[in-house]
Amino acid sequence: MSVPAEREPTTSAPVPALEVRGLVKHYPGVKALDGVDLVVHQHEVLGLAGENGAGKSTLLKALVGLVTPDAGEIYVRGGAVKLRSVVDAADHGIGMVFQEQSLVPNLTAAENILLGGEGPAVRRGVYRWDVMRRLAQEQLDKIGSKIDPLARTDSLSFADRQMVEIAKVLRIEQRSQHPPVIILDEPTSVLESKEIETLFAQIRRLREFASVVFVSHRLDEVLDVCDRVTVLRSGQSVGEVATAGAVPRELHRMMIGSTGSDDHYHENAATPVAAEQPRLSVRGLSGKSFQDIDLDVAAGEIVAIVGVHGSGREDVCRALFGIEPTTAGEIRMDGKKLSLPNTRAACAAGIGYVPAERKIEGMVGPMSVAENMTLTKQKARCAGPFVAPKKQAGLVDRWIERLSIRTPGRDTPIQRLSGGNQQKVVLARWLVGGDIRLLLLDHPTRGLDIGARSEVYRLMRELAASGVATVLLGDSLEEAIGMADRILVMNDGRVVTEVACPNGGKPSPLDLVKEMV
Amino acid sequence: MSTPVAMQPVAEPATGRTGPRPAQRLTGFMPLIALVALVAALTIADPDFLTARSLTAVARTAAPLIVLAAGATLVVLCGGIDLSIAALASLTTVLLALWLPHLGGLATPAVIGVAAAIGAVQGVAHVLLRIPSFIVTLGGMSILSAVALVVSGAGTVRVVDDSPVAWLDLYLAGYVPMSAAMALLVVALIALVLKVTPLQSWISATGYSESAARLAGTPVDLVKIGAFCVSGACAGFAAVMLVSRQFSGGPTMADNLLLPAVAAIVVGGTAITGGHGSLWRSLAGAFVVTLLRVGLPIVGVPSAYEQILYGVIIVVAVALTLDWSKVSIIK
Amino acid sequence: MTVTSGVAASRRIFRRGAAFRDAGPPVALVVLFLIFAALSPQFRSIENVQNIVDAAAVLAVVTCGITFVLMMGSIDLSAAGVMGASALTVSLLVANNRNDNDFGLAGIAVAVVLGCAFGCLSGLALVLLKVPSFMATLGVSAIGLGVATLMFAGVQPNITDAMLKSWAIERFLGLSYLTWIAAACILVGWLIQRYTRLGRYAFAIGGAEEVLTLSGVKVKPYKVAVFALAGAFYGLGGVMVTSQLGAGLVQAGNGYDFSAITAAVVGGTLLTGGRGGILHSAVGVVLVMVLTNGLVQVGVSPYWQGGVEGLIVVAAVAAAVIPQRRRNQVVK
Repeated sequence: MSVPAEREPTTSAPVPALEVRGLVKHYPGVKALDGVDLVVHQHEVLGLAGENGAGKSTLLKALVGLVTPDAGEIYVRGGAVKLRSVVDAADHGIGMVFQEQSLVPNLTAAENILLGGEGPAVRRGVYRWDVMRRLAQEQLDKIGSKIDPLARTDSLSFADRQMVEIAKVLRIEQRSQHPPVIILDEPTSVLESKEIETLFAQIRRLREFASVVFVSHRLDEVLDVCDRVTVLRSGQSVGEVATAGAVPRELHRMMIGSTGSDDHYHENAATPVAAEQPRLSVRGLSGKSFQDIDLDVAAGEIVAIVGVHGSGREDVCRALFGIEPTTAGEIRMDGKKLSLPNTRAACAAGIGYVPAERKIEGMVGPMSVAENMTLTKQKARCAGPFVAPKKQAGLVDRWIERLSIRTPGRDTPIQRLSGGNQQKVVLARWLVGGDIRLLLLDHPTRGLDIGARSEVYRLMRELAASGVATVLLGDSLEEAIGMADRILVMNDGRVVTEVACPNGGKPSPLDLVKEMV
Repeated sequence: MSTPVAMQPVAEPATGRTGPRPAQRLTGFMPLIALVALVAALTIADPDFLTARSLTAVARTAAPLIVLAAGATLVVLCGGIDLSIAALASLTTVLLALWLPHLGGLATPAVIGVAAAIGAVQGVAHVLLRIPSFIVTLGGMSILSAVALVVSGAGTVRVVDDSPVAWLDLYLAGYVPMSAAMALLVVALIALVLKVTPLQSWISATGYSESAARLAGTPVDLVKIGAFCVSGACAGFAAVMLVSRQFSGGPTMADNLLLPAVAAIVVGGTAITGGHGSLWRSLAGAFVVTLLRVGLPIVGVPSAYEQILYGVIIVVAVALTLDWSKVSIIK
Repeated sequence: MTVTSGVAASRRIFRRGAAFRDAGPPVALVVLFLIFAALSPQFRSIENVQNIVDAAAVLAVVTCGITFVLMMGSIDLSAAGVMGASALTVSLLVANNRNDNDFGLAGIAVAVVLGCAFGCLSGLALVLLKVPSFMATLGVSAIGLGVATLMFAGVQPNITDAMLKSWAIERFLGLSYLTWIAAACILVGWLIQRYTRLGRYAFAIGGAEEVLTLSGVKVKPYKVAVFALAGAFYGLGGVMVTSQLGAGLVQAGNGYDFSAITAAVVGGTLLTGGRGGILHSAVGVVLVMVLTNGLVQVGVSPYWQGGVEGLIVVAAVAAAVIPQRRRNQVVK
């Protein structure tokens, strides 16, 4: 049992390898970082934990110069630094192994390890392969990897590629002439359990000559490999825990914080679900990344699917909208069998989809609010084959008012609206036709601030009350629990368990996490 | 039938303020401003330029270019490009010249139909095989040129009796060339159809953000195929105009119209990245290009500079109209 | 999301069947050769084989250039214009019937440098003005043709330079000098691709440009340099055509741009970049030449050549794209 450590003054003992004080970063409509403090001691493995949207990724990007903070300071071995680029960060001895692996697939491992800093391996633009091989071998030896330096990177396994990445990041040692700080962003998400063990051994080994920041959403891993954990919540550091003897439950409580009793999820507005024939009934659905999915959603019911990155839940959702191909299984809507070869078929069947990537997939930025809203349900704005401008204007204005969308006018390009209002327009797209039966919400509140989230939640409740069936992929576990009537837990492409989630009988996040990993 | 009605919107429509900002309006008129400036410059260089006769000649020269550019603009609006238009027009001149003796008046609709079908085939290849449009149409260009060479025996095909297409070479009210009037009609017709139907939204959405358009249930594939089809039909119609003027068809007759057509589209301000632009812009662009072509000799520049000018125009205009925010990595 | 996951997925299947793909073009070449040899006695004659190899010379040089551009994932449509300009330049600088110049090798060097400059122009338009390469090079091609037309000035320059003329006529070990020049170009291209930073980075840019940027590599100079290198190859190609024709023509490069793309693609270079190389392209060049020559030998009209190339390109690109298809992937 450990207690969140009191923040000690940093004057004692050796200077921290890396220190962050009061880091602030605003994005339009969202405060991603709200005064984050962080200390990484020398030869320490620091864990960084936090829910989605807690500010982890923004913080990491700031540490390697990909994001310029609006305020706050970063200190490297006691000296304040400004990091403008990855190269800048590398010069100060900070390097990151990215979540999306960042190796050039068609180059050799050796080239990747030395990329951008070939030194004596390239003289006057001419490669000296023997030198390159030797230098790369030295790096690989340092981490005890047996990979052939001249193997093409895309012929290596994921685990091997990660070793190459670590070897590559360690090159910054030569640049800064100091023990480096290595950031590992979700390094385990693509690895098998045996590979994870190897990685952890590697991390412990790294501690001998470097400091490590380890980021993972798997709390047991964080506790296993780290010396200390800093927890982020809503862009702030809310606590530090020494891992010796700590348990995941405690960390999780800090990550979530107290939700309070302000009915953030409008649970009072939740309506009981009539137990009749399900609106959506999926049996044995299989695709590339998911197998044998059974799923029932009744009219007016909100069903959340939870799972870690790579659990396949996004693909299930996309399969229900005709984007991801399926290999087996059937989908029934109100008892009628559906075939969904494309998104048009899904739209015609009364299915709506709000994608996670709002700016890329959700909306057409330069087009007006009105056009974005009426893009799908053309009938609602047309008379015969022709667009009826008055009908469209009336319709759009009514929905702008109905959903209290704050926009200068219906002809304003949607990209000028705030995130929350953009999301409301995207939602309205499915409602203007009046024929929506099933809504698939993929991270509907991603990147929204608290007020906008609350409005989206209220809208979801109203839609449910009017009989729309909803499948929700929550932005956080908390959101899923708060909104859903029922929760399906997915792990590795399969539904592992189903949990009832009624008002007053909500499951605890930890019970769900247990099933997820 | 239990179609649920999600939520009843409030009955009272709110009135919204609308309209683009003044700055946007101004950039929207850029091709027009360029056009007026060009006319003014040419008039200063040669006072005789602003006569009915020379203006008529400009309109007549511009007609095939307008039609060609108008069709290809649709493809560009969808975010693609059609490099085959000129080769397709060349092939169509050959086909028309060959078919006129047999089909007479029916030859014109027949060749336009064939051209539209060829365009559609390229569209289908682009959509189904997922090949970038410029490669499909580059390959198409090569194939169509080969077909034109083979069909024509690599020579000019004379039209003995051109009465079925002669009407295009007449003048309306004595001054307005029929071909130019028809070109305007084509542009107006396509623009009108786009405006009063959902097509406009569909095309813009496809061009601006194809994935968002697809996820909104827009028939992206059909829209693209349709755009290529219309582009082909327009190339066919441009070919009819060429034949009516030159009394012959040739396997490379329209090939030198590709660069001017692309230049007309980008000079008009239609973004090569898709979404932003219009047919009217390409109309203005086609006039700008034609004026440059006609005007160079007037101001005493050898016509060899024409090509260089097209090259510079294309590069500069694309750079100016490109939506830089949209493309992080330019290949 | 879709885009990145698409990339990740395509990387995963990158190696699957790579051996098949590398072996495919040479096998196709052999099969094609045997088929034509069986069909036509003229085709399998020594003279015809010499013809094929000699006719491939210019295309091989142009393809060397374009391969580097394609490896980056860009495309180059400027070969025709650049070759026209360099053909006129060289024919006016070596001994000719239009002026008293007789610069010999220096004239050839100037033509190559001019091609290099045009390539630079394309590259700069790409990295500074952010004009997509197919548009930038289309523009540069027009500029090249315009420059060539200006130099042509209505009178065809016939070259009298003995050395340049001999390139196309004189033979060494049964092959024309031009063929040996092409072979040298392939060797140089291969060395560049294998042993220089320029070549490896061009390859890497096609593989994952964003990773290079993240690793602190400034990719822009390399992109410009690759286009310049390609331009130099086109310039040399223009010189070689001039040697063949004995005169400088504006249309010297007609069709070479597309044939070169065909050859590279058939050889196994992906238009999306990051795969293929000079040796692949060399096989592609011979494949295209065998195909076009063979078709003529069995009685197909030579006018179909372009059509056959067009079909091959579309088919080859489609075949390369099929394993990477995803439903919501954007193809422009």
